[in-house]
Amino acid sequence: MNLLDIRNLSIELLTGSEPILAVDRVSLTMKEGEVRGLVGESGSGKSLLAQAIIGVLDDKWKVHADRFHWRGQDLLRLTPEERKKVITKDVAMIFQEPMACLDPTTTIGDQLEEAIDEQLLSGNFWQRRKQRKKSIIQLLHKVGIKKHIECINSYPHQLTEALCQRIMIAIALAKKPLLLIADEPTAAMESTNQGQIFRLLASLNQLKNMSILLISHDLENITHWTNTITVMYSGQFVEAGTTNQIFNQPYHPYTKALIDCSPKANIHLPTKSRLMTLPGSIPILQHLPIGCRLGPRCPRAQQECVQAPKAINHHGHQVSCHFSLKSSK
Amino acid sequence: MTTLLEVYDLSKSYKLKGYWYNRKVNNALEPLSFILEAHKTLAIVGEVGSGKSTLAKLLVGAEKPSTGKIKLNGQTLEAGNFKQRCQHIRMIFQDSGTTLNPSLTIKKLLDEPLKLNTELNEQERIHLIRNTLQKVGLLADHMNFYPHMFSGGQKQRISLARAIILQPQVIILDEALASLDPSLRSQMINLLLDLQQQMGLAFILISHNLGIVKHFSDDMMVLSGGKVVEYGKTHELIKKPKHKYTQKLLMAQNFQLLSK
Repeated sequence: MNLLDIRNLSIELLTGSEPILAVDRVSLTMKEGEVRGLVGESGSGKSLLAQAIIGVLDDKWKVHADRFHWRGQDLLRLTPEERKKVITKDVAMIFQEPMACLDPTTTIGDQLEEAIDEQLLSGNFWQRRKQRKKSIIQLLHKVGIKKHIECINSYPHQLTEALCQRIMIAIALAKKPLLLIADEPTAAMESTNQGQIFRLLASLNQLKNMSILLISHDLENITHWTNTITVMYSGQFVEAGTTNQIFNQPYHPYTKALIDCSPKANIHLPTKSRLMTLPGSIPILQHLPIGCRLGPRCPRAQQECVQAPKAINHHGHQVSCHFSLKSSK
Repeated sequence: MTTLLEVYDLSKSYKLKGYWYNRKVNNALEPLSFILEAHKTLAIVGEVGSGKSTLAKLLVGAEKPSTGKIKLNGQTLEAGNFKQRCQHIRMIFQDSGTTLNPSLTIKKLLDEPLKLNTELNEQERIHLIRNTLQKVGLLADHMNFYPHMFSGGQKQRISLARAIILQPQVIILDEALASLDPSLRSQMINLLLDLQQQMGLAFILISHNLGIVKHFSDDMMVLSGGKVVEYGKTHELIKKPKHKYTQKLLMAQNFQLLSK
C-alpha cells in the first residue's frame, strides 16, 4: 500500500486581487521504505509541498487536491485536530538550517526530552524520569553521537552544524516516524559533512524501513542516495521516475537541461567547454507564464505549450510535456 | 603565456589576546607560493577554517600579510596601496543579494568605481557602463533599475559587471557560484569562460563544488588548516590524488560513483 498518495495537489496564495496558483496540480506517491528525491530550483514550490503534507500552512494558503491519502486515510476530510494527530504520529520533518531551528537558550538534552513520546513511558515519575534519560541517550546513539553526556549538556551554538543536524534528526526520530521529510538537510554544509548526513539518512532508511522525502535544489547532489525522483519547475510537475530513468534517460527537456548543466554529470566533457544551459531565468510568482511554465525557456516549445500538459505515464516513468523526448524517438 | 600574478611565501597569523608571557599566535595561513598566468584559473579547495578566505582577503588587500610578497606583472603590490591594487584585482562575493547597495541604482553602483579610479568624463563613463552591462548579458536599460528588481542570477551578473568594469587582470570568485540555482550557475560559468577568452582574465576560484572546479580550473590548490596539502594541475590531481585529505574530499563528493 502506498504510504502517501497525492494526486493533483494545488496550493493557492490568496492575495488581495486574485489568487496566485503557487503549486499547480502536482502528484506524488511514496511507498514504504522508499527514498524519494524532490528536486526543483528556487521558487519551484517544493518546500510548499512539504509544508502542505505536514499541514503547517496558514490561512493565506488554500490547499486542494483530487486525492490526499495517508495510508488509505483521506486527510482533507479530517478536521484539523484529527489530521494533526495522524501527522504528528507518523511524519517528521527536518529543516535547512539546524542551528536556527534549535532553541539557543536551552540545552540539547532538554530539547530532546521534550520530543520523547510520553506514551512509551510507564511507572511512577522517578521511573519515567530515568526512562526518559535512557531514551535520550539511545536516540543520540542512533544518530551516531557517541559522546552523549557532553552533547546533552551543551547548547546549540557549542556544536558544529553537522552535529546540530544530527540532533534535529534525533528529535525527528523520537516519535518513530514512518516518513521523514528532509527539506534541504545539507544546504550550506561542507561536502564531508554532507556525506555524513546522507549516510546517516540512508542507514536509517535501511535499518528502520523509514521512508524519506529528500528535498533538494541540486539534482547531482542527491542522485546517489535516492530510489526515485520527482522533478518540479515553478510549481508544476515535470517528471517522476526511478533515479536511473531520470538520470540516464530523461524524457522532459527541463530534466535533460538540469543534467546537462551539471559539470559533475558530464565528466567526459572537455574542460572549459561551454556547458549546456537554458536561456533566461526562473519566473517570479507574480509573473508566471500561462500553460507550461517552462515555455519561454524551453528549447522544444511550440504553440501547444500555452496549454498546460497532462502527465503521461510510460511504465512508471511519468512526464508532463507535449513534446517529450520519449515521443520523438 | 605571460606570468601575471606571483605570490611568494605569503602567510598570515593573528595574535590572540593574552598576557605577555601567555601570547598565542593563530597561524591562519602558513607560507605559500604560487604563480598564475593570464587566461588561467586557479581553484582553491578546502573546508571551513582552511584559510581559503584569508588567502582571498590577502590577495585583494583587505588584510595585510604577515610575511611574503605579491607581484603583479613583475611589480610588487604594496599593502595599503589600494589605488594600484583595486584596478587590477577585483573580487566577487558569495551572496549577490547583500553585496549590492540597495539604495543605489545600477548606474550609480557601477559609476562609483569609475569615479574613484579613472579620469573619464560623464559621457565616457555612461558609455562604458552600457558596454559592460551588455558584456555580462544585461540590457543598457537596466541602468536605472534598483538591485531588488533583479533575480538572484541577474544580481550576480551585476556584481560581475562591477568587477570587470575597471578592466582588471585577476578576478577572485569567493564561492560566487555556490548560491545560484543549477541552470543559472551554468549560464554564469559560460559567461565567465567567455570573458576569460575575450579579456584574458585570470580567475582565482574558491569553491567546494569539485564538479565546477574540475570543469573550470587549470590548476588546483588544496588547503587544510592553513597549509597547502596539494598543488598541481587539476586533471592530474583529480585523477590521482596523492594526499589522504584530497582523497577524502573526492570521496565525499562521490566522484567515481556519479560517472557511471
